[in-house]
Amino acid sequence: MTLIRSLGRLVVIVGILLGLTWGDIDSALASPVDQAQIDEATQLWQTSAHAFNEINCSSCHESKETKEFVAQPGVESCQTCHEQDVDTFLLGQHGIRMLEGETPLTPAMARLPMQPDAMNRQMTCNSCHDVHSVNTMQAAVDSCLSCHSDNHSLNYGNSRHADLFAVDRNLPRPSANSVSCATCHLPRHETGSGDNAITLVNHNNTYTLLPRDRMVKDVCMNCHGMEYSYNSIFDDDLVEANFDAPPTLALETFELVRDFEARRTDQGDG
Amino acid sequence: MALRGQALRWRSFFNLKTAIVLACIALVAWFGAAFALDNKQVFLPGETSVGHYIFETSCASCHEGFKPVSNETCMRCHEAEMAEDKHGPSKFRDPRWAGELEKIEALTCTTCHNEHVHMFGRGVHLQPDLCMNCHQGIIEGGLKSHDGFAADGCWTAGCHNYHDHRSISTGFLIENIDQPPMLPVQQLPDRSVFTKVETAPNPDLTQEFLGGGT
Repeated sequence: MTLIRSLGRLVVIVGILLGLTWGDIDSALASPVDQAQIDEATQLWQTSAHAFNEINCSSCHESKETKEFVAQPGVESCQTCHEQDVDTFLLGQHGIRMLEGETPLTPAMARLPMQPDAMNRQMTCNSCHDVHSVNTMQAAVDSCLSCHSDNHSLNYGNSRHADLFAVDRNLPRPSANSVSCATCHLPRHETGSGDNAITLVNHNNTYTLLPRDRMVKDVCMNCHGMEYSYNSIFDDDLVEANFDAPPTLALETFELVRDFEARRTDQGDG
Repeated sequence: MALRGQALRWRSFFNLKTAIVLACIALVAWFGAAFALDNKQVFLPGETSVGHYIFETSCASCHEGFKPVSNETCMRCHEAEMAEDKHGPSKFRDPRWAGELEKIEALTCTTCHNEHVHMFGRGVHLQPDLCMNCHQGIIEGGLKSHDGFAADGCWTAGCHNYHDHRSISTGFLIENIDQPPMLPVQQLPDRSVFTKVETAPNPDLTQEFLGGGT
């Protein structure tokens, strides 16, 4: 009897251990929509860049092969046109799980602080983008803050950057003058030249994040001088405060370079 | 008497040896279940780095059986970062530097970037003075301006980047020194948006949405 009881206990303990180790399993089932929701989506779509490029309902909501109706198109659907955006997304922290055949990322898996009510949201294209309005204002700041709740994110509103962004609020997408979360973490970059020049968005959110000096050249130095940029980005407190003040750090490296240049000029003169 | 004998037999059965055997069975069952249920967290040998933990249970992303992790595996994701690697194969094909590979196997990613071990920043598990494997002379009289510098300061003090010299590096610093805090023109790239038609077409699906579906 003792053996049976011990085995019973063992099964219970192993069960608890398994339960503790392996989190909850989410089930995402498509729920039917009503006419009001269809009307709203249609209205948003009618003034979107999708509509003006003849991307109609069936472009996303119908299988290319079987012509079957698809209620919730996935990343693959977006990828048919937005190849670069999806390819880069899949390489960053946000998309890498999908690239590796795992379930999409949820805030619950993150080590950074996240909003408690967002813990089980799944990270796909439409987590950030309203795919019907194709309005990237929301994707540039509001979407980020719907999950991220670390101090750097929460302090964004205190920065000059946020003031610039506020000016653009009613535009369909941030202009060349405003600085949003996406400006730094999903930066725009120009490729090609002449008539083929095109600005794309690097959706690999980890690319400019680490090491920090990459962000300086690719993003900060569109507006700021080099010393100002490095003195800001290497100051942990200023990063946490989301750049609410000019930098106070003075990296020695710049003095070294100035001395070096002075010596070289002297030698040149002599 | 019979009852007491039976109790004794049970007690002698449930001794240390049995406990060990049961523990082993439990462990095997646990690992087996982890495999069967595709939940591999239990196999992680240590804490995964900040860059990789999000998919740390996808062992096959980096590991092929028990073979060492190859450079090709890393480059599946890190190609963009390594587009202009100053310490890449072309540097060490130069006979001047080829011999340095004997000091540190610099052409293998995992020499400096191991995983599931303690990191000193930037995903590097070697001590931050790793540059001294080859460049110790620089802080010991080889370069006057660097005389007496700390051995671990090359890449932690905001001066050098091992792989990428497009940004922080001597040339880049010299080129951009003494810039004002705000550049004369402050402008980010503007998003390219193209349109084919001036008015939206009629929506080509409507009733289909009411059904739900997949």
